[in-house]
Amino acid sequence: MNELDFRSVVVWIVVVVLFVVHFVLHIGLSYGRGAPDLLTLGLLIAARETSLGRAAVLGLFTGLLEDAMSVLAFGANSIAMTIVAVGGAITQDLFVGDSKYFLPAYVFAGKWVRDLAHWVSVGSEVRQPFVEQVVVQGTIGSLYIAAIALLMSRVLGAWGEV
Amino acid sequence: MPTYGNEPESGGRGRDVALAGVILLFALGAAYLPPTTQERISAALQVSALRPFIGMQSLLTDAGARRVRVDALQATVDSLSSAMSTHQSVADENRTLRALLGLRERAGPMYRPATVNRPGTPGSESTFLVSVGTRDGVRAGAPVVSPEGLVGVIREARISNSVGIDWTHPDFRPSAMLADGSAYGLVESRRGAFREEDRLVLNGIPYHEEVDSGQAVLTSGFGGIFPRGIPIGTVLSVAEEEGTWRKAYFLRPIAEPAGATHVLVLASGAGDDASGLWEPDTLGVPPEADEEP
Repeated sequence: MNELDFRSVVVWIVVVVLFVVHFVLHIGLSYGRGAPDLLTLGLLIAARETSLGRAAVLGLFTGLLEDAMSVLAFGANSIAMTIVAVGGAITQDLFVGDSKYFLPAYVFAGKWVRDLAHWVSVGSEVRQPFVEQVVVQGTIGSLYIAAIALLMSRVLGAWGEV
Repeated sequence: MPTYGNEPESGGRGRDVALAGVILLFALGAAYLPPTTQERISAALQVSALRPFIGMQSLLTDAGARRVRVDALQATVDSLSSAMSTHQSVADENRTLRALLGLRERAGPMYRPATVNRPGTPGSESTFLVSVGTRDGVRAGAPVVSPEGLVGVIREARISNSVGIDWTHPDFRPSAMLADGSAYGLVESRRGAFREEDRLVLNGIPYHEEVDSGQAVLTSGFGGIFPRGIPIGTVLSVAEEEGTWRKAYFLRPIAEPAGATHVLVLASGAGDDASGLWEPDTLGVPPEADEEP
C-alpha cells in the first residue's frame, strides 16, 4: 500500500469513528448540546477526501440520520449537511490546506455554516433566536470542534502527514 | 495538506457537479415531503442505522430503572435508606416510580407504563421516545402523563415505541379549564428568547373572569384528545390582554419534561374522564378545600 492509500484509509477510519462516537454521545448517552458535533467534523474531513457528488451523497445521508430523530423540522439537517459537504468538497479546488491553521479554521467555518444553514432551513416557528442559536451556540460549537480537530491532527501526527 | 488524487476528467467532473446538484435539490425537497413519507424515512433509519444507538439508550434507561425497581427496594429500603440519601438522583427516580405506581393503580390498566428517551440531536428538542407503541394499544394523540400531570402527547405511534411532544412544542395545545370549572380556554406554548424562557399560556379567558394566581388548570376534555381532569399547571400572572374581551395567563407547568423519565401513556379506550386520578394537593389545591364546611 503506498503512502497516499495508507493516509486515505486512516482518514476514512477516523471519519467512521467520529460518526459512531457522535451518535453514541448524542443518542446513546443523550448528552445533547454538551457533546461536540463530531458528525459535522467527520463530514468536513470526508468532504475533502472525495469527489463533489460523493460528498453530497454523504452529506445528505448524515443529514437524514439526524433528521430521523427530529420530529420538529424534518429536512433541515439534510439541507445543512449537504451544503456543508458540497462546500467542503469545493474547498479542495480553492485551498491546498497545508497550513497548520487551515484545519481548525476550515472546521470552524464549516460548523458555523452548518448551524447557519440549519437555522435558516428549520422554519420560523420552530427555530431559536438568531443570536442564541447561530451567534452564541454556533460559535461555541464551532470553537469546540475546531479545538477537537486541532487536537486530533496533533495526535494523528499532523494533518496530512500520516 | 498533502496532494489529493488525480484531477477528475472533465466529463466525470460534469457528472459529479450534476450529481451534487441533484442531491442538493433532494435535500431541499426533503423538508417538503408529505409527513407520512418523512415518518417512513425516519422510521426506516431508526430501525436500521440508528438502531444500535437507540437500543443503547434504552438499555441505559432500563438499567437505570432496574436499579430502582420498586419490589426490590421494598425489601431493602430500610437498610438502604441511609445509602440512598446520598444518592439524590436515584432517590428522586424511586419517588417518581412509586408515585407512578400509585397513579397507575388509580388509573387502571389502560394507562401503559413507559420509559422516556430523549434523542438529543439538533431539531429533536421538545420531542421524546416512549417505550410503548401500537401493540400496547397506544395511538397518535394519546396523552402522556406523570404523577404530577400532563407531560405531552404522542405524535406518532409505531409498533414497539412512539414519538411524543412535550408542552414546549408549538403544536401542544390542549383545551383547558380552571379546576373549579369557572373558565375555559386553550393552553399553548409560548417560545421565549431562550429555551429556559419557554412558557405555558392559558389563552382565551373572558376579560371579566377573575382568575387568581395559584389556581390549578386542568384539561377540559373538549376536542376529544385529552381526557378531562389532567393537571397542566397553575396560574402565575396575566400574560396579555386584548381589548376588554380576552385575557391570557402565564402558567407554571406542573410537569417538567426534562425530569420525566417514567410516564404513563393512555391506551385507546381509556375513557374521557381522568378526574379524581390526581390527588388534590398535586393540583395546588389544599385537600381540605374539597371538604364540605
